[in-house]
Amino acid sequence: MDIQVSDVIVGLLMSVLGLIGLFMAAGATDDAIYVFGLSLAGFAVVFVLGLIRRHFDRQSGTMPKGTDYV
Amino acid sequence: MFIKHETIEKNAFLLLVFTLLTIAVGGIVEVIPLFTIETTVEHVKGVRPYSPLESRGRDIYVREGCYVCHSQQVRALRDEVERYGHYSIAAESMFDHPFQWGSKRIGPDLARVGGKYSSDWHYAHLMNAQSVVPESLMPHYAFLAQTPLDTGDLVRRIKAQRMVGVPYTDDQVANAAADLKAQADPAADNAALLRRYPKAVTVPGDGRSVTELDALVAYLQVLGTMVNFADPANEKPRQ
Amino acid sequence: MSDAAIQYNEDVVKKFVIAAIFWAVVAFLVGVVLAGQLAWPVANLGLPFTNFGRLRPVHTSAAIFAFGGSALFATSFYIVQRTCRARLFGGEALANFIFWGYQFFIVMAALSYVMGFSQGQEYAEPEWHLDLFLTLIWVLYGVVFIGTVLMRKEPHIYVANWFFIAMILTIAVLHLGNNSAMPVSLFTAKSYNVASGVQNAMIQWWYGHNAVGFFLTAGFLGMMYYFIPKASGRPIYSYRISIVHFWSLVFMYIWAGPHHLHYTALPDWTQTLGMAFSIMLWMPSWGGMINGIMTLSGAWDKLRTDAGLRFSVTAVGFYGMSTFEGPVMSIRGVNALSHYTDWGIGHVHSGALGWVAFISFGALYYLVPVLWKRERLYSQKLAAWHFWIATLGIVLYITSMWVAGIMQGLMWRAYDQFGFLQYSFSESVMAVHPYYVIRFTGGVFFLLGSLIMVYNMIQTVRSPTTARPAAEPQTGLPIGTAMAGA
Repeated sequence: MDIQVSDVIVGLLMSVLGLIGLFMAAGATDDAIYVFGLSLAGFAVVFVLGLIRRHFDRQSGTMPKGTDYV
Repeated sequence: MFIKHETIEKNAFLLLVFTLLTIAVGGIVEVIPLFTIETTVEHVKGVRPYSPLESRGRDIYVREGCYVCHSQQVRALRDEVERYGHYSIAAESMFDHPFQWGSKRIGPDLARVGGKYSSDWHYAHLMNAQSVVPESLMPHYAFLAQTPLDTGDLVRRIKAQRMVGVPYTDDQVANAAADLKAQADPAADNAALLRRYPKAVTVPGDGRSVTELDALVAYLQVLGTMVNFADPANEKPRQ
Repeated sequence: MSDAAIQYNEDVVKKFVIAAIFWAVVAFLVGVVLAGQLAWPVANLGLPFTNFGRLRPVHTSAAIFAFGGSALFATSFYIVQRTCRARLFGGEALANFIFWGYQFFIVMAALSYVMGFSQGQEYAEPEWHLDLFLTLIWVLYGVVFIGTVLMRKEPHIYVANWFFIAMILTIAVLHLGNNSAMPVSLFTAKSYNVASGVQNAMIQWWYGHNAVGFFLTAGFLGMMYYFIPKASGRPIYSYRISIVHFWSLVFMYIWAGPHHLHYTALPDWTQTLGMAFSIMLWMPSWGGMINGIMTLSGAWDKLRTDAGLRFSVTAVGFYGMSTFEGPVMSIRGVNALSHYTDWGIGHVHSGALGWVAFISFGALYYLVPVLWKRERLYSQKLAAWHFWIATLGIVLYITSMWVAGIMQGLMWRAYDQFGFLQYSFSESVMAVHPYYVIRFTGGVFFLLGSLIMVYNMIQTVRSPTTARPAAEPQTGLPIGTAMAGA
């Protein structure tokens, strides 16, 4: 049921960013790009997992403590 | 025609457009003419692109944040000219991407440090500044002497600079690696190097491998030496 | 429409509040370390990643972008929702992405500095890949902020939002202009700026001075225009001043950059323009100060009881002081003495500690009880301690830097009776040592003050003594809004 548009758009953006991160890490010729690329990919994965979690929390009405809006 | 301020306050689009116009003026007036007025950068003889070793040394200068403590700009003031040498002219940093004029002198200005001290002095000073200047606040850069200079992407670095306007010739690009080696080896024949990069200072090095310290010293030794202010042709740099 | 019906997104505001407090401590801590290194160079340790040159951008970025930026995100998101009576545009996910993305940027930038990657331009040190990532975050921030303004249920756009909009737009333009660089390759962090030499210098200070003017001034003026009326319960002193000083500030600030380049190879005409506008800038700056301070007319007694408000008002005082000092220092003759010396460092910190940090502390002391729905701040007394310790720290900091800076300037230009320069450079280095120790002490005081704040905030959220008896409806607009456009 009600999937938020914002979740979908940000989710897509994150997957693009994550892929860019992987490409950068794969081709990196220095530490900065390697670390950045891997971290970006990791960040994207964790963020998307967060999106999914919040979606189901909203559905089941078990938002984490301190969340004060729908 | 007079627009009531209330109109702008009630219309986000108008507020955006007017703000954008307001902030655009100053930047346009101050920045664009510096690219179009020909006299902004003087026509003097001697300014050349950095040699491969100097350029890599400059990369290290930028990397270590030397600019946060050292300026590279002698202002046109009597005491500065007497302390550091001829005031800096725009042409001297025309190939500096980015410029390193700095904003604070925790240490002295470096715009004309080239040739002021021997290369041996620079090695000792960078390894342990307090051993040469006891009052110095400078950190130790001994680790540069233990780090071999990465020359893997040397040509790409030179080419990237060429793309932003540094006039490296094909000859200079093709011989980049050889020129770098020649400048770090006192025993090498450096005639070709000096033809391509006049006044390039050969650094002593240890003769085996080129370190980051060698590159940094080569860069420091060329600073402020390219323009010969004693040359009558350059006596009055046209501005 | 009643406020209760609008579900504001306070989650993201809370996150940014926590981030702002966290980064404040980090920024002050790194600052103290750097001040220690300048007083006792052995503290550099000789390691690549602990040397002053690499740590200094960590300090400036932590202070400006991490602490200042998080405080700006928190307050702008809070203010725009309240003053527009609209929920944050773009939904929860986008706001969350802006928060985590910005924090990601900060951590990556700091990491890249200590690893030895820097564009070599002050306050614009992150390399191209981080610049691009920040551009994405900033554009999305603009979308969320301006989107919320467009969805507003108030006819007028509140004055605080003008300043935030000006900040968002201008910072975007500056960031793109100054960071145009050619990377060595798509997989290499190193890049070379497109501009060089004198043009690069001009663009850098067009950027650098307006990072001050729009990030650290316009944005924080937005904060002032909400929290001072709100905390004092008085309307903004003059609606007319806010209009006049907004437009003149926004117009003039952009021109002021060249005062960082007096007597250099930058053409004289540009220097003169920069100086002229810097001096004129004094007036709009003081317009903002007068508007902020006079808002307290009739509510001065609150300064005795509300430590948060005391921070805000003192901040405006420091703002007035440093925006007077700035124009003075931009005069060529004065600049000849002050430039390259510690006077500049003192000036920056009277703005950064006195204005930016204090106005943020004022907003944070207001926001934490409101956001976590607590009755009140845990301890006004601890907040007062924070206030006095931090103020003492600032005074130590800026006075020692004045003395050190003017002394350096005078020593560098001193001549002996034979017409030779009297002092070597290293003599000037030795002479300022005591003042560097005093500055270090001032920094430690400021850091201690912020740690008191951290404890006070944690207790405000946790302690049962601050619990609210019953749920109350959320408060609406500051009183000034009702009068806007009158």
